[in-house]
Amino acid sequence: MAEAPLIQIRNLSKSYGSKLVLKELSLDIYPGQVIGYIGPNGAGKSTTVKILTGLIPDFDGEVIVNGINMANDPLGIKKLIGYVPENAEIYDVLTPMEYLDFIGKLYGMEETQLHDRARRLLMAFGLGTNGDDRMDTFSKGMKQKVLLIAGIIHNPKIIVLDEPLSGLDANAVIMIKELIMRLSQEGKTIFYCSHMMDVVEKVSDRILLINKGEIIADGTFESLKQNHSDTLERIFSKLTGRGDQASETDAIINAFD
Amino acid sequence: MNEILLMLLSMDKFFLRLVSFFYPVLARTGVDTDQLNEILRVKLMMDNRRPKAMFTARRNAKNNGQQSPWLISFFTLLMGFLIGLVLTLNSMPYVGETYYFIIFMVLMAITLISDFTTVLIDTRDQFILLPRPVNDRTIAVSRILHISIYILRLALLQGLPALVIVGFVDGLLAVPIFFIQIIEATFLSIFMVNIIYLLLMKSVSPQRFKDIISYFQIGFSVLVFGTYYLLPRLINVSVLGNIDLLTHWWAYLLPPVWIAALNELLVHSSRSGLITSVLAILGLTVPVLGLWFVAKVLAPGFNRRLSVIATSDGNTNASTQVKKSGRFNFIEKISNLIAPDPIENAGFRITWKLAARTREFKMKVYPAFAYVPIYFVFITFNGSGALSDRLEKVQNGHSYVFLIYLSTFILSTILTHISMSEKYKSAWVYYALPIDEPGKILSGMYKAIITLYFLPYCLVLSIVIVTVWGPQAINDMILAFLVSVVYGMMMALFMVKGLPFSKPVIVKQGGGKMITSLMILGLIAALGFGHYYLMRWETVIWIAIILFLFINWIMFRHYKKQSWESIELADL
Repeated sequence: MAEAPLIQIRNLSKSYGSKLVLKELSLDIYPGQVIGYIGPNGAGKSTTVKILTGLIPDFDGEVIVNGINMANDPLGIKKLIGYVPENAEIYDVLTPMEYLDFIGKLYGMEETQLHDRARRLLMAFGLGTNGDDRMDTFSKGMKQKVLLIAGIIHNPKIIVLDEPLSGLDANAVIMIKELIMRLSQEGKTIFYCSHMMDVVEKVSDRILLINKGEIIADGTFESLKQNHSDTLERIFSKLTGRGDQASETDAIINAFD
Repeated sequence: MNEILLMLLSMDKFFLRLVSFFYPVLARTGVDTDQLNEILRVKLMMDNRRPKAMFTARRNAKNNGQQSPWLISFFTLLMGFLIGLVLTLNSMPYVGETYYFIIFMVLMAITLISDFTTVLIDTRDQFILLPRPVNDRTIAVSRILHISIYILRLALLQGLPALVIVGFVDGLLAVPIFFIQIIEATFLSIFMVNIIYLLLMKSVSPQRFKDIISYFQIGFSVLVFGTYYLLPRLINVSVLGNIDLLTHWWAYLLPPVWIAALNELLVHSSRSGLITSVLAILGLTVPVLGLWFVAKVLAPGFNRRLSVIATSDGNTNASTQVKKSGRFNFIEKISNLIAPDPIENAGFRITWKLAARTREFKMKVYPAFAYVPIYFVFITFNGSGALSDRLEKVQNGHSYVFLIYLSTFILSTILTHISMSEKYKSAWVYYALPIDEPGKILSGMYKAIITLYFLPYCLVLSIVIVTVWGPQAINDMILAFLVSVVYGMMMALFMVKGLPFSKPVIVKQGGGKMITSLMILGLIAALGFGHYYLMRWETVIWIAIILFLFINWIMFRHYKKQSWESIELADL
């Protein structure tokens, strides 16, 4: 960990109206790390991601990626990041090839290289024969694969994945888990947001737990286990203040009386 | 001619090339022109693949989303030609052009609102363009250029036929002037639309905003439908030619008059006075001022509000809570009264609520409410003679019963759409739950359709009919209503066998069903004409009412008993 951090977040705060979503968040992320970013609904997870990917331009504090300050040069940062959004938004009247061509050109990629890479990625993701079909007939999993490809097509240094496994079948899930590890071996930094604790537990080498706009746990799965509990699920519920599961289930059972 | 069509088709490329002349200038202001070109190209391509609201009224599911840009260009040209004919009606070009530009601007504004709003508030841009290294200015410029290209294409296509016509009517000199006038009218339309948007966004919530836009679209398809059917019947076209709007002083407040004044001033300068010159100058300056106002004053806040609308689905905690007001309690009381069985009650309420809240359903069904009176007027006024004579004939006759019988069109429209939904998969609950007789859900659904849509509609019609034709129409209304309910139930029994909102939106009417449908239609027509001939005996009608009450009762009992075998299941 001697190297300089790739992503530096300093005193990051964000509020919607009077509601404070992020409270003075500070964070260093090093190259090649796979960060598992977890937290309950409404904890500020997507807000962090949206700030990091430049979707939300106004915030307090500092975000520095690869020495570039978000406030000065958001475009420089966006070039380094590949983002796979959670809510599967895609121009589905286009075909995958047309869509990837569009995205690649926005990154300023050269056409022959772009098309070649797009075809190969589509093939590798099992969409080789669907490259020229309109996406409005695609299943959720197929669209998700196209989104994943669009997120890595420009060979970014940092990959931000927000629930990337939604809609994918078991084989694809195994493939993506593999892929994440391989990408991190290639030196990519991966920021992985999910509610699926078992996957986070396996793929990430550093886990960040956010609750009510603050990071309340930070470390490898092993270190979290020592201090708290034996599975990530338990750690999660313990730290996010839902330790008392018994009384909740009691209330549910009693509702039938 | 072929060349013109080819040019129109490749218009996108033409516009892209046109825009590319400005790239060096734009590049100096910080726009990434490669990205700009790419965004514009893809956006224009997507526009061509998007179905247009103007044609959805008569579009069936078969060619869903597959309208060719050819066809749309052709229809826009045709529309432009039809309104261009207005120019030939009046011997005074001044008056003719005023009419033309009134229609031109209204059509333009409505098209912009109904077709382009989806483009303006494309929420996907937030997630697709924003994470990419595209700077704000490029996105802003791409949006402005995209809108400009869309509007210019529309304006040119719509104005082209008139451009030719004006050459014949008013001489060659009028053609280039007319071109300027079209641009004036386009600018003014943009100004108008912007004002409308701004007022809407100021006064309503984002969700309401989307709803209001869809009502605009419904209104538009009704307008197009109505104009096609009624305008030629009701208005003697030659009369329009003799009305001189310009003799009224208030006419000078209408912007289309200012636009038309330019022609009067330059082509017919001999008869133009001081007022015409002032108006012509107004016509030249106001659009420019309006556009400047839009760009400087309205646009900044406009974009901010738009992004609020775009992101409103996720971020803001805008309350979408359904108000539990007295009206809803009232509805619940009605449902308990009409559908006392728990399962039937569930069917009633789910249909009621989903139908009232599903935008796609409303978009397809609401226009039908307006089509019925349009059809009625179309059929009854379909004769020769002066309008007043025909009106008198209608009032003395008994044709009003057909108004109710025509309303069965609404019933069949609702029934064909009630079982379809884009989110049809949510209907798994029906199959997962222990429901022994799905007929109960169906009868609840049918009762909801009748009480929510058909009965109120018939009541409104009856009030109109009774005020026009007098109280002896009351029993006819009741009988026609009861017969219609029987008709609807037969439709539901033989034609629409799906549970509410449970099937994907694909209409595949088999050949066998076509015959059944015609037989049901034949039966209802026979009953309707039977009713028409029995109308002279009031007591016979009352007896028939009792008879049909009984038939209704039997039918409902039968309908309720439908088993799973007789219901068409969708693949989930």
